[in-house]
Amino acid sequence: MRKLALFAIFVLIFGTMSPSLVNHAYGQNDPSILLRIAIQADKQIVNQLNKNYENEIPNNINNLYEKGHTAVKSLEQSLSDNDVEKAKQDFLLAMNSFMQISRIISQSTEKVVVIMSEKSNRNMSNELDRLEKYVKTLESISKKHNEIEQSKDEFTKSYSLIKEIRKQITASENTSKNITELKSLVNSIKSELRNSIAEKQSNAIKDFFEKFLVQIDQKLLEAKDLGRDEIEINKANELILEIRELLSKNQINSAKTVYSELKIVLKNIGISVKIT
Amino acid sequence: MISLIEPTQLKNSLGDDGILFVRNDCIFDTMVKTPLLVASMIIVAALLPIQSSFSSPRDLDLIIYSDGTTHVSTEIDIDPFLTDYELNLFGSSIDNLVVVGDNGFLLDADVVDNTALIQTFGSSVITIEYDIHDLVSKQGRLWTFSLDSVSDFTLLLPKNSAIVGMTNLPINMELINEQNQLTLSSGSTEIDYFFSTNTIVNPIENTKNEKDYSLYVIISGIIIVILASIIIIIRNKQKNVKVINEVVTIQKNDVLDLETIFKLKPDLREDDKELVKFIFNNNGEALESELRKKFLQPRTTMWRAVKRLEREGVIEIEKKDLQNLVKLCKTMEENN
Repeated sequence: MRKLALFAIFVLIFGTMSPSLVNHAYGQNDPSILLRIAIQADKQIVNQLNKNYENEIPNNINNLYEKGHTAVKSLEQSLSDNDVEKAKQDFLLAMNSFMQISRIISQSTEKVVVIMSEKSNRNMSNELDRLEKYVKTLESISKKHNEIEQSKDEFTKSYSLIKEIRKQITASENTSKNITELKSLVNSIKSELRNSIAEKQSNAIKDFFEKFLVQIDQKLLEAKDLGRDEIEINKANELILEIRELLSKNQINSAKTVYSELKIVLKNIGISVKIT
Repeated sequence: MISLIEPTQLKNSLGDDGILFVRNDCIFDTMVKTPLLVASMIIVAALLPIQSSFSSPRDLDLIIYSDGTTHVSTEIDIDPFLTDYELNLFGSSIDNLVVVGDNGFLLDADVVDNTALIQTFGSSVITIEYDIHDLVSKQGRLWTFSLDSVSDFTLLLPKNSAIVGMTNLPINMELINEQNQLTLSSGSTEIDYFFSTNTIVNPIENTKNEKDYSLYVIISGIIIVILASIIIIIRNKQKNVKVINEVVTIQKNDVLDLETIFKLKPDLREDDKELVKFIFNNNGEALESELRKKFLQPRTTMWRAVKRLEREGVIEIEKKDLQNLVKLCKTMEENN
């Protein structure tokens, strides 16, 4: 028994320590990467300076470059001395100096900051790549639940639309109509998928709701005893009845919608919605 | 006068110097009941990770497209006793949001500003994917990625991008399809980059000689000991238990053909079969990163799929240049 206990303790201690050991190993993974990034950045900055200023580099930029370049040299030395901590400091110093230079250059050449969230600034080809990825994600969810037969035509249509839009992009034609059609098709796939999967998960959701509603019933009684807002308590009870009725009719999505309303009412009463 | 009542320890263990020696053989059992101690430690060890893991991302992978839009995929452990979970989305301009719960169920999510209220209904792990337009800004030719992350994350930069400044130390860097993928630690990160030609920084080659291998050696040693123990246990079991499964070995180009694999493993999931097909067509082996790229899956999802196939005995995993090389097994056992 004692041997077993010692073995168990050893395993537990090792088990607790091993994740931190692995993280540590991961964190120390190849510090020479820092040098490669810094050298690459140094070269890019030299290119940018040559392009923008040729031989008339302003003093402030020149000083920053010297600072960054010296830090790169120091980084190289720190790595050959196996001084990882110093290497990290050198890396951050170099990258910070280069960052300042690149920002000064871009501010002086073009003052306009492009807002990437504006649709006009997005690349249509990238937009299509993202939509294709989205369709593939939905398709994989659909496959997992064997719903693929139901939406097979829609997926096929989506892929053919994607193909067509790609051709339009190559030919520099207007893609907006097809993109709108594709987006609406994908939304309809998602909505169908949501409904069909909701039916499949109905038992799990029903079980969860049942436990949840029993506890809420109890908490509402307690709230009533505490003299909380009676109108809100009655409203909550009505919503609970409605959820139970919808669940009995297997209308899971509608039950979820009513639950959202119930949650707000419960919050007003001061009841938390965590089941135990 | 001699005392008639004398402590028992005094009788046996009082040394010449008058020092009291007490046998401590049973002190452990006497002071603390061993099973109780072990049980407590098991409970503490089991609860510690649960306590710290709820609501923290297990995995966060970001892909920056060349127009600055970023694809985010993350997996989060959540409290299964909650009906919903509020997720910070890193920004408010969100597209193509998909939230999947346990068993691959699609979950409902309402996005308000930069948060998504997800109806989890008992899910303990949720996978979230979306595109966000707020993480990258551009001034002139300079692109700036900014993120304040609560966990470590991977960042796949666009093709032909060259980093010219960063405020965070990279943990790792890999080259995936001519794109640099950085692994960064939690906290605030800003990365400036330009688009340029000849910008690939080869992160793997030429760096091996400078590595500190000591930790790898320790970890490898531990793994070898564990593997050796497992092999010994399995061998001992095999001596006593009759072999039920028929071992099929067909030597044809060193790997089994697809039809045979699927016949031997009829219960493979459809998506796993696709993986097997790809590996088969790739001369029976592929890097895990290639699989991720091909099937557009987050790191953990692919890792789980690969592990599943390894458990099924369909593939074996080898390390190659710090990456996982996935190989089809040459022999397979038939599933009953």
